[in-house]
Amino acid sequence: MLTLQAQNFTIGTHVDGAIVPAIRGLSFDLAPGKILGLVGESGAGKTMVGRAIAQLLPPSFAVTSGALLFEGEDLARMPVARRRALLGRAIAFIPQAPMTALNPVLTIGAQFDEHLARLGDAGRNARRERAVAMLTAARLPNAADLLTRYPHQLSGGMCQRVLIAFAFSSNPRLIIADEPTTALDVTMHPPILHLIAEMQKSHGTAAIFITHDLRLAAQLCDDVVVMYAGRAVESGPARVVLSSPAHPYTRCLQLASPQMSEGRRALYVMPDQMPSLRQLGNIKGCHFAPRCPLVADDCRTGVPPMAARTAGHSAACIRFGLTQQIVAGQAAAAPAAAAERPLLQVESLQKRYEIGGGLLGGARSVDAVKGVSFSIAENEFVALVGESGSGKSTIAKLLAGIEEPSAGNILLGSEDLIALRDNVQRASRVQMVFQDPASALNPRRRIASIVTQAMEAGNRHTSWEERLKRTRELLAEVGMSEDLASRLPGQLSGGQRQRVNIARALCSIPKVLVADEIVSGLDVSIQAQLLNLLARLRAELGFAMLFISHDLSVVRHLCGRVLVMYRGEIVEQGPVEKVFGDPQHSHTKALLSSVPPDDPQAAWPAFTRAS
Amino acid sequence: MDALRRSLRSPRVLIALGMILCVTGCAMFAGFLAPHDPGDQNLLSILTPPAWVDGGDVSYPLGTDSLGRCVLSRLIYGARTAMLVAVFASLGAMIIGTVLAHVAGYFGGVVDWIIGRLVDVWMSFPPVILSLILMVGLGVGLGKVILAIVLVDWTRFCRVLRAEVLVVTRNDYVAAARLLGFTHWQTIVREVLPATLPLLITLVSLEMAIAVVVEAILSFVGLGVSADQPAWGQMIADARQYVYQSPWNLLLPILAIFFTVTAFNLLGDGLRRSLDARLSETGR
Repeated sequence: MLTLQAQNFTIGTHVDGAIVPAIRGLSFDLAPGKILGLVGESGAGKTMVGRAIAQLLPPSFAVTSGALLFEGEDLARMPVARRRALLGRAIAFIPQAPMTALNPVLTIGAQFDEHLARLGDAGRNARRERAVAMLTAARLPNAADLLTRYPHQLSGGMCQRVLIAFAFSSNPRLIIADEPTTALDVTMHPPILHLIAEMQKSHGTAAIFITHDLRLAAQLCDDVVVMYAGRAVESGPARVVLSSPAHPYTRCLQLASPQMSEGRRALYVMPDQMPSLRQLGNIKGCHFAPRCPLVADDCRTGVPPMAARTAGHSAACIRFGLTQQIVAGQAAAAPAAAAERPLLQVESLQKRYEIGGGLLGGARSVDAVKGVSFSIAENEFVALVGESGSGKSTIAKLLAGIEEPSAGNILLGSEDLIALRDNVQRASRVQMVFQDPASALNPRRRIASIVTQAMEAGNRHTSWEERLKRTRELLAEVGMSEDLASRLPGQLSGGQRQRVNIARALCSIPKVLVADEIVSGLDVSIQAQLLNLLARLRAELGFAMLFISHDLSVVRHLCGRVLVMYRGEIVEQGPVEKVFGDPQHSHTKALLSSVPPDDPQAAWPAFTRAS
Repeated sequence: MDALRRSLRSPRVLIALGMILCVTGCAMFAGFLAPHDPGDQNLLSILTPPAWVDGGDVSYPLGTDSLGRCVLSRLIYGARTAMLVAVFASLGAMIIGTVLAHVAGYFGGVVDWIIGRLVDVWMSFPPVILSLILMVGLGVGLGKVILAIVLVDWTRFCRVLRAEVLVVTRNDYVAAARLLGFTHWQTIVREVLPATLPLLITLVSLEMAIAVVVEAILSFVGLGVSADQPAWGQMIADARQYVYQSPWNLLLPILAIFFTVTAFNLLGDGLRRSLDARLSETGR
């Protein structure tokens, strides 16, 4: 019997008084011991499936038709008592944010004991032994000692291992893992995925793996369902679907992600973004039609049904024969060779934070940045990579002037930036683009006021006409319509907000831009738009950039040189091709090996799934 | 600003504004509205009940007190005292509290520590006792009452606003403003203050209610405004001795205080509901 089966499963919600399907006609089969990947960008509805199983749908969302069968029983329509008996036992969950999924005031042991008691294990000692056994199986050393620890004493990776041990301790028949590695450091991805696959294998559990990463899905999953705007657009065996996608959306997504191997190629840019629930009603026929490069008149007349391409591989597209013809324009020009003369020079920069103590003493200090030196040439894009806590963001703050270094020099040309106290002057030299546009844009200011905010600074009295003129120039530069100038940030999409964020930093025409993870929170298709934008702005405006990122493929696409940081020090630096092609430091090697290969058929040495 | 306009559609706010308008009208046009001078004594008719009760006199619609003064006129002039104290005391407390809260929350560190401890020490005095002590030191008078309330109640603003400033300051847009060349002063006024303004307006409204009560307490014990200035607290104190002969004299100023305080509290509550972003989607 199939572990999980979705039959024409539909979830509806109320939008402006009408019922709009958030998930429409989803069908898939999951056999025992198999892993099914649900992939797609945010808003595709993939998380909604996991929530429907857990009965955690947001208010006003409800299953309207179809069935979601767990071993033949419909999860949406079974009595509450029955469902409660299944959830957490036969069906277990691995959460997205491990640090917040554990109770911070209870020890791991207390929480595990409570969990096992709920599962019906009798006897405190028996439960303790079982907990130790499960934690050991999750490859956690000193399991007995770990039981006495609190969650904040563990790293994110360890917390996720504890939660995986929790999930498998009930011998579940189905595991739901919603982006289980997204909140963790890149280097933790392969071991955690390996552990999930290993536990899943040894317990014979079926799993649903929800992810936005196509390359990861190819390595981990048996089958995948690609979702777009609440609908499955393509499904089939993971490696088949991802190595020869039949639906234009899957193909475009792949072409929009930068690659780790082969030559640098242009990113395919899909116009606009995924339609929201509100917009869905206005799209006739295929939901992907407005963004599809293969669109024809037939696409707008009816919703294409899932059609089999080969055995087991089907796609909801009437023109899938043409999908392989979609190509990503010509190769982008290789980044220009760095100029001889360095523009920005950082010399043995240090930052020490005093922690705790206060006025009553007892302070200790932490060295966030330990004597870092590097330089950036004019118009050069330099990447800074490393795991969280390695000091990347501290360097960004020091360069931007938000924090003052404990020692060291920052020179722009021959000018000392640390000694430059005049804010207005400094603003025209170094600017920073912040990671989270929701926090970086004042929700009370109009877009025109945000992008020209630099003209408000100091004693300059700029007329509103001048500011509007500059707004039009800046919005045109970042590829936005000037109609948006009078909007508030809350009325823009994530991609648009990040463009505003960039436009604001460019207003005072800085020589150096510091960008802290500016494409990390964005979907692949929006990320591609922004990466192309940055490359174009570089050619047009000629600024240099320090690009901080954890995504090595993005770094490889955009930057010419890379600095690898580890525990406050730069352990390796050089041209991207050289460092990524022949890494010397063990941390660089670890970072590189944690990226899944571009080719879905290729093996991923850091993660091997026993078959 | 949208939120402010939206709040004007809330029934709570409209009712409260109507009530406050009544009291303010009395305070502003006391000279026209009051039938008698509030200090005029008519010793031939003392403790007369309101006009609609047996033995009432039409020329004294709400009766007279133990010295034969017109209760209605004293209530109307009392509104002037109450509103002056409410407006100026809460604005004064707001200015001190807000400036210190923004300085503490924005700069943090030692400045925050010093201001935080100052507030702690200040708040450890019972507020009524502190204001009584201040009044003893300062002497009676309208200005002194306002000063005493300002000196006691600025801590209320400071503590609540500082927490809000801390949250707002943590947003990247505040750091971004500094990077764009804003001075600290510009950053606070243009980026932080607009975000804390809704809370500030709500607090001022609630503080006005508190100021009315405190003024009544001080007048009641005779440490408020000078004796020749009518005040509701004074009227309660006077009427207390004759409560069996003339309960109206006690009841009417109490009702006036109740009416005013309710209006300010209602306004504060209504503003909080429509201005607080956290409540804006569901709680309204």
